[in-house]
Amino acid sequence: MSRSIEQIERRRALVLLAPATLWTVLFFALPFGVMAVISLGDGAAVGRSPAGYAGNYLRFLNSPEFVQAFVNSLEITLTVTVLSVLLAYPLAWIVAEEIPARYRRLALALAVLPFWTSYVVRSYAWSLVLAKQGVLNDGLEAVGLPALALGNSRAAVVIGFTHFFTMLLTLTIYSSLVQLPPNLRRAAADLGAGPVAVFRHVVWPMTLPGVAVGAFLTFALCIGDYVTPQILGGGNDLALPQLVMLQLGRAADLPMASALSIILMAAVTLAYLLTARFMRAVR
Amino acid sequence: MKTMISTLALCAGLLPAVALAQGKELNALVWCDHTDDALIKPFEAKFDVKVNLKEYEGTGAALSLIEQSQPGDWDVLVIDGIDVPRAVAAGILGPLPVDQLPYDSLFPELVMAENQVIDGKTYAISEKFGYNTVSFNKSKVTAAEMADMTRLWSGDFTGRLAVYDYYLPVMGMVAVGLGLKTAELTVGDMPAIEAALMALKDSAASVGEVVASQTAIATGEVDILVGGGEWVTAGLVSENPDLDWIIPEQGAVRWSQSIGVFADSKEPDLAVEFVKHVLSPEGQAALATSACYWAMPANKAAGDVMTPEQKAALRWDDQAAYLGKAQLYPAPDAELDAAMQDVWTRFLAR
Amino acid sequence: MMGGPVKRFAACAIYMVLIYGFIFLPVIVLVLFSFQDGRFPVPPLKGLTLKWHAEVLADEDLRAALLNSLIVALASSLVALFFGFLAARALAHSTMRGAALLRGALIAPMSVSYLVIGLGLLVSFNIAGVGLSLVTVAVGHVVINLPLCFAICFAALGAGEIQAERAARDLGASETRVMWLVTAPMIVPALLAAFLLSVTFSWDEFLIAFLLSRFDVTLPVEIWSLLRSGLNPKTNAVGSLVFLVSAMAFLIAELSMRRRT
Repeated sequence: MSRSIEQIERRRALVLLAPATLWTVLFFALPFGVMAVISLGDGAAVGRSPAGYAGNYLRFLNSPEFVQAFVNSLEITLTVTVLSVLLAYPLAWIVAEEIPARYRRLALALAVLPFWTSYVVRSYAWSLVLAKQGVLNDGLEAVGLPALALGNSRAAVVIGFTHFFTMLLTLTIYSSLVQLPPNLRRAAADLGAGPVAVFRHVVWPMTLPGVAVGAFLTFALCIGDYVTPQILGGGNDLALPQLVMLQLGRAADLPMASALSIILMAAVTLAYLLTARFMRAVR
Repeated sequence: MKTMISTLALCAGLLPAVALAQGKELNALVWCDHTDDALIKPFEAKFDVKVNLKEYEGTGAALSLIEQSQPGDWDVLVIDGIDVPRAVAAGILGPLPVDQLPYDSLFPELVMAENQVIDGKTYAISEKFGYNTVSFNKSKVTAAEMADMTRLWSGDFTGRLAVYDYYLPVMGMVAVGLGLKTAELTVGDMPAIEAALMALKDSAASVGEVVASQTAIATGEVDILVGGGEWVTAGLVSENPDLDWIIPEQGAVRWSQSIGVFADSKEPDLAVEFVKHVLSPEGQAALATSACYWAMPANKAAGDVMTPEQKAALRWDDQAAYLGKAQLYPAPDAELDAAMQDVWTRFLAR
Repeated sequence: MMGGPVKRFAACAIYMVLIYGFIFLPVIVLVLFSFQDGRFPVPPLKGLTLKWHAEVLADEDLRAALLNSLIVALASSLVALFFGFLAARALAHSTMRGAALLRGALIAPMSVSYLVIGLGLLVSFNIAGVGLSLVTVAVGHVVINLPLCFAICFAALGAGEIQAERAARDLGASETRVMWLVTAPMIVPALLAAFLLSVTFSWDEFLIAFLLSRFDVTLPVEIWSLLRSGLNPKTNAVGSLVFLVSAMAFLIAELSMRRRT
């Protein structure tokens, strides 16, 4: 009995898919499920959450400090996303359009070189720059400007994040820009459109999907980050990941930590759905 | 394909090979002051063993780590003296051989038998102590201004102070400042403490752990550190001689670290040897002047090995007066501890 | 009066200077104060010394952490690339039912916070009684790199590769030989990009490594410990050395590729 070609191909495909799928199920989906189940459980021995399956989530909603941390995370992340796009787009555009082809890759490489310092150390370096007697204030005072109290604050966290994500977005927006077919722009120019109009009606709409994906990536990475707020925040305006680590480390409250993480995931999923819908609308 | 598989196999094989190559190991859960080579290397050389150290930032974090570990994962535990009963009740610590340890040459207040001797068995021995009080930069703030603790949260120093991120001593200090006794705290005292704490947070420029606190005051980011003490300033005073500390008139809080052996340790004899090493005069001197933070050694015999400058930085001769003015950390039961942690979370999030 | 192109050039130049300044500011400060002759890495710069760099190079824990980071990065990236390539090969131009769903499922972990992934694995390993080690860290890193490798390989497998495969199969080659001798070489740039990106992500990853390791730690975790065990410019020195080495490696790769093109 001979098998049809499709059956052979399907069996082959399944064999090829097996390792990746098994890994994702075993080490991603399953742990996530375990965490979700644990988040429904009771907290540390002294049951700080109300009883019942939704206990930890109810505690989240009823605790101003948890809700505030969530709001902080959202505010910081949205600010960082907008700022990073605003800073990265012109840079990507200049590198893609204005810089001669020979130096383009070098310019891009230079723009993202600090990527290669350790993430932890880079945040620490910002704390040195923004300290009360740090480099920034020394520079400001040298030119006669008043010193800024940026250290240990939400501003410092936003600056640290924006620094990282500007570099990331420069990469993604640049690759979006260079993939544009040049004929479209030439055609628009031939039809009499000035450079601003070409940008508004051709370049921007066509790079929008790339920007949207980059922005979503920024949102997802930024809202879940623990290192930068911990190093630059000085214990002010706590973000949600910091509260998760607090529950994990000090309170040994694994169920609450799990519940908070799931709430974080929900925010990212919502952002994903919004981005997907936006991309469909734009296309 | 073949090269990929052989590379994978090599990488997979490297890890267990690395593990097998290491001989005897001792795993210790410690505060950051135990990582100095001056303390660890002599022990490693003498017993031909590798000491693995994991640092934590507070008893809660340590207990959380232990909970997430398997039995036999750890051998030595450094834990705040006040928390020893908790650790013993949880079955974490095993008994120590009293005759092998220098209990007679400890400072008398540091013997702390009521915490460390349970049912006739000794489970831990004090190794280091100090104070959580007020550190300050004496070129910016005078000692007279620091004498009244309640001024810290009265708004007189807004934006000029930092708070050490550890709930037990800071809440203990606030309690002392309000005239309460740390040993007699109840849930009913929490609202008053919380009110003072919130006012303190509003005045604070930052809240951080050990090194962040040292950085804040040493680099001039703030002028006052609440919860600081000699552990902040003694090691840094050679670089910044303006750093000073004082115990306010209301008093302050004394911290003490104890060291003990895990009940389920796989190397119990080696663990006891490590404890003996830390309590020896040389070990005590190294511990007292560790890079992370300096503080008084519990064993008086260390004084014979330390230099006069080191002892002056630690105010060795004034200790009797300080010990009289300081109360121990609060030792809350589970319910009070949960309440305190909740207040602290609100404090941090404010 | 300046003409249009000159104004545009000036505007671009000013923007570039400002933004490159912003991007490089923390790195310059970091490197500068790693030579600080004093314990506090803040201005004023008291004098220059190589003492902190020497201490870093002599530090056994840092050297061990560096080696660990390399091993974990290489191992997890190889596994992620291997599995990702196989899966991409299976799903590219597949007419199977549920192919789109499977594709989505394999890419999903990319948008999940490392905190969530790390916490989930920590909890699961706890329950399963598995001890934490570099192996558990590598497992976590494969989870975050697998979707990336899969996505890159999937995007690179186009119609051209399918035709070439068909031709090879018609000529009698077995399936395995088709995959390794035809498909893979055709998408070598994508494979390389996926591998390098995975190595970069794993190398610098802190949160999962922090949650899932015990004593043998990776470099970011060791640096974090450094930050917590004493105030001194040694941390600056570590950061500077890591930056200088990786920047040099990157620039060398960049320049050698330029020579080829």
